[in-house]
Amino acid sequence: MSISLKRAGAIFVKDYKEFSRNYALSIMLIFPIILALLLRAAGAGSSLPGSFATVLNLSFVLLTCFAQACLIAEEKERNTLRSLMMTPATTMDVLIGKSTLVFVMSAVVLAIATYLFGYEPASIWAFVAAIIFSIILYTAVGTICGLFSKTLLDASLSIIPVTIVFSGAPWGAFLVDDYPIFKVLDYVPSSQLVHLLGISHTGFTTGDLLKPLLITLVWTVVLTIVSVVLYQRRLKDE
Amino acid sequence: MQFQPIYYDGELFLPKIELNMSCNQSIGIITDLKRKQLLMNQLLDRSQYHIFRAGQNEYMHLTVEELITFLINVTERNERAALLLDYFALKEERKVKIKNLSPSKRMYVTLLRVYFAHQPTLVLEEPYFYLEEQDRRQFKRILDDLSKEKQFLILTSNLEDAIISCDAIYRLNKLGFHQLDIRDSEEDKQEVQEQDRANITLQKIYTKRNDKVILFDPPEVDYIESIDGSILVHVGGENYVCALTLTELEQRLLNFGFFRCHRSYIVNLQKVREIITWTKNSYSLRLNTGKDAVVPLSRSKLHELKALLNI
Repeated sequence: MSISLKRAGAIFVKDYKEFSRNYALSIMLIFPIILALLLRAAGAGSSLPGSFATVLNLSFVLLTCFAQACLIAEEKERNTLRSLMMTPATTMDVLIGKSTLVFVMSAVVLAIATYLFGYEPASIWAFVAAIIFSIILYTAVGTICGLFSKTLLDASLSIIPVTIVFSGAPWGAFLVDDYPIFKVLDYVPSSQLVHLLGISHTGFTTGDLLKPLLITLVWTVVLTIVSVVLYQRRLKDE
Repeated sequence: MQFQPIYYDGELFLPKIELNMSCNQSIGIITDLKRKQLLMNQLLDRSQYHIFRAGQNEYMHLTVEELITFLINVTERNERAALLLDYFALKEERKVKIKNLSPSKRMYVTLLRVYFAHQPTLVLEEPYFYLEEQDRRQFKRILDDLSKEKQFLILTSNLEDAIISCDAIYRLNKLGFHQLDIRDSEEDKQEVQEQDRANITLQKIYTKRNDKVILFDPPEVDYIESIDGSILVHVGGENYVCALTLTELEQRLLNFGFFRCHRSYIVNLQKVREIITWTKNSYSLRLNTGKDAVVPLSRSKLHELKALLNI
């Protein structure tokens, strides 16, 4: 399957304009920033390192995942995806164009949110890597949500289960004492992000950093492959 | 192009169809919604057929210019958006967002996707349905230009739409798949002039329907058409089969203000309301009967008609 940067670029530009002018969707861009400001004002910033992880975990779902799902569902709703499939643009061109846009938007907005929150990671490289893996991971989840929804409305609703599973997982830790089964929630990437951000500035080893990163990376690789395979299969009959 | 037969409840719903399409030919098929879907579902080869379905929508938040630029880039053509906008006659609308266009213009812009198709065959479902007359003319012009390199299949439920830009028209319904005779022919011309025109003794047109014989006064008749060799007399939106040939009918009806406007049509001039000009070479007559009826008018007959009406 051929991939053309020119075609992917055209899709990127088109989606950027569509997304930014549809205010019902683009309002989500300021959500992480507001959340960062709110939690900082609540004074949680210094006392609880997990609170910034909450900002990130919610933002990944409500911005990255939501935007990707909406971009795909909107094309399906208007039958433009079917029409795109008849141009030389391949399914991968479309996916790359959209994912790049979502990646850039998420990265910029989360950078602003981090700066405003005033969070200082123990290791900047581990932090950046975790953010990049997470954005790719949630983009893949968004792609899957988009593929299973027919309209924009479906897409906005489909991220609710994602919010519960991914953003809610770190809170599952409170239930572990009563129900040991919830221990599996510890392996969800959002819980791992909480651990990673919770590492204190002094006295950490590389092993402390690597474990959450590796678990997140496994999730990222698996979900990306699943989303690409599903995407190709479902678009065949579009 | 081949279509496989489809059966429903043991009855033949879609007969086996073979169309020999040569380059720069456009074929129209007049049929119903269900059969349109079935036909399109058989044309899935994306390297051969570009299918434009009636439900196609557009990116609402882009401006016309941005959309054209996007289509140029995504199809990797080497054209300039400004020139194309000129060609599409969209210069005034270039800064308008698609969602703010009038419904007819929005449909016209959406239809422009077929211009960018790289496949040799374009399949269009109801292309003219939502278009106003001016946009129809624009789109027909673009299709005419495109047809120099590509072939068209137009699926519609409306004869008038098919006449606008098709060389051959077929009707597909429960009776099967039959070609309509709409071709323009100069051969009949001489014959017509040699006929004597004084036969007014017959006052009634003799038709049959459900084994009943029905007689019409000539002024009642709206128009008469020939389909597959049988003659249909249209009266008030209904049609009746007549045993006479078109040439015989033409002779008999000449003195009642009837006119042979086309090789397969005779029209009652008293009921003609409007002469529609699609392009320099294609015309239709709209009748002022209760139902909106349109009859094709040959180019060769236009001058004759103008002389007859003193215009």
